Amino acid sequence: MQSTQILYDIHNGETFGTLIAIYFYLTGLSAGSFIISTLSYGFGFERFKPLGKIGIVIATLLLAAAPMFLLAHSGQKLRVWHLFVYLNPTSPITWGSFLLMLYPLNCVVYGFFMFRGQKRLTRTFGLIGIPLALMVHGYTGFILAFGKARPLWNSSVMPLLFLVSAMVSGIAMMIIVSAIRDRFFTKEHALNMDILSALARMLGWCLVFDLFLTSTEMAVHGISHLGAQESVALLLTGPFAGLFLLLENLMGKVIPMLVMLSPRARRAVPLLLLASILVMIGIYTMRYNVVVGGEYIPLL
Amino acid sequence: MSREKRFGFLVDLRRCIGCQSCSIACKQEWNVPVGRYRAWVKQVAKGMFPHTRKSFLPILCNNCEKPICVMVCPVLASYQKPNGIVEVDPHKCIGCRYCMASCPYGVRYLHPDLGIAQKCNWCSHLTENGAQPACVAACPASARIFGDLKDPDSEINRLIAQNGVQSIKPEMGTGPRAFYIGLDDITVEVKAQGHELMHLSE
Repeated sequence: MQSTQILYDIHNGETFGTLIAIYFYLTGLSAGSFIISTLSYGFGFERFKPLGKIGIVIATLLLAAAPMFLLAHSGQKLRVWHLFVYLNPTSPITWGSFLLMLYPLNCVVYGFFMFRGQKRLTRTFGLIGIPLALMVHGYTGFILAFGKARPLWNSSVMPLLFLVSAMVSGIAMMIIVSAIRDRFFTKEHALNMDILSALARMLGWCLVFDLFLTSTEMAVHGISHLGAQESVALLLTGPFAGLFLLLENLMGKVIPMLVMLSPRARRAVPLLLLASILVMIGIYTMRYNVVVGGEYIPLL
Repeated sequence: MSREKRFGFLVDLRRCIGCQSCSIACKQEWNVPVGRYRAWVKQVAKGMFPHTRKSFLPILCNNCEKPICVMVCPVLASYQKPNGIVEVDPHKCIGCRYCMASCPYGVRYLHPDLGIAQKCNWCSHLTENGAQPACVAACPASARIFGDLKDPDSEINRLIAQNGVQSIKPEMGTGPRAFYIGLDDITVEVKAQGHELMHLSE
């Protein structure tokens, strides 16, 4: 029998950590709520009109907050202007520094015309914003996917998984926002069940897709090379199993999916809100699991 | 006629005695902060008593042919010189740690006071002027060989040609330029639990 034991090794410290996980979470929420906002003002689904204005305000605020976490994470904060001067086209962070300028700018312009009631211009900037919103969150998936040292990140599913989980967390947030808005900030104090139900159904199907991508990732990585197998073992049986299986997938995805896809359950408002909160916690846990779990296993 | 060199590094593991002289010489040469390392020797205990052996694996920057750290650096602070050495421009780096996250060898660190990424550059201030890297000069077993891969008469080329050489994680496709004689897969692959090491580095 062979026994091998490590006696001495060096780990040069965490690289991305919780701050970057929070950053990914916030850009995801922002992109999700922006897309909900454009459903009525960009694509003409009149049913979602009450969410247009509040959606864009939240999207802008979240995207203003998100880069603060990048700034906090940076080692040389006064040099962030280097990002706009020394450009590296092969680095997703270079793409991101421009997306993080253009997207909030477009949000402000889009919101400005919306509040002014200029329909055509609102629609134009809403439609320009869709690819920007997708890119501003999709690029974060590329950041991780290009980190080829870490098997959990280095997957071509990662950008798509990030987009889908952005939609999931964004819709869940809009369900909660819509309910709070109807209950406390309207004259009737009555919930708009039509919107809530439509959002819930949309969320349900996004969760199905999210679960499909997550299980694809686990299955393929699970039979892939050694490092990939280790990363799957970390999430399924290792120290991250509780976070990944229970908090992220069971409570954050499977149970809410059942609630959202059942016509009876999603009409029960407390259940709907509870499930939406679980989704928001679940997607934050997902960001944490991917970012921190991805670099948890030492490289050598 | 001036001819551009292409540097390479070779560790003869048959000679390494795991004394960590290289780690210490590196720390002294570069004033590497506490808890961070540019070069170190991983030590692994193999086998069952009485058939046991301590196995050593000196780790340093591979100064890769196709460095992923250079590819992902958003501000062009990491760059590759014509002689193959990958450097970090201390005045450009913003400390985003993307290079650290993408390096398959974990040889970069963030300087806790300067807030920038730093790494082993095969002592370019010495080697570009004809001297040996500090770790090579310090190695009492002559296990570390540094030289010009383009010079057919160099010691490193002779050893590479006449011995079986390996590199760590060649499948990463970065073209590592630190070669090893007698590299042991078990020693490369055994890993400490992540939390143990996180604890060590704090």
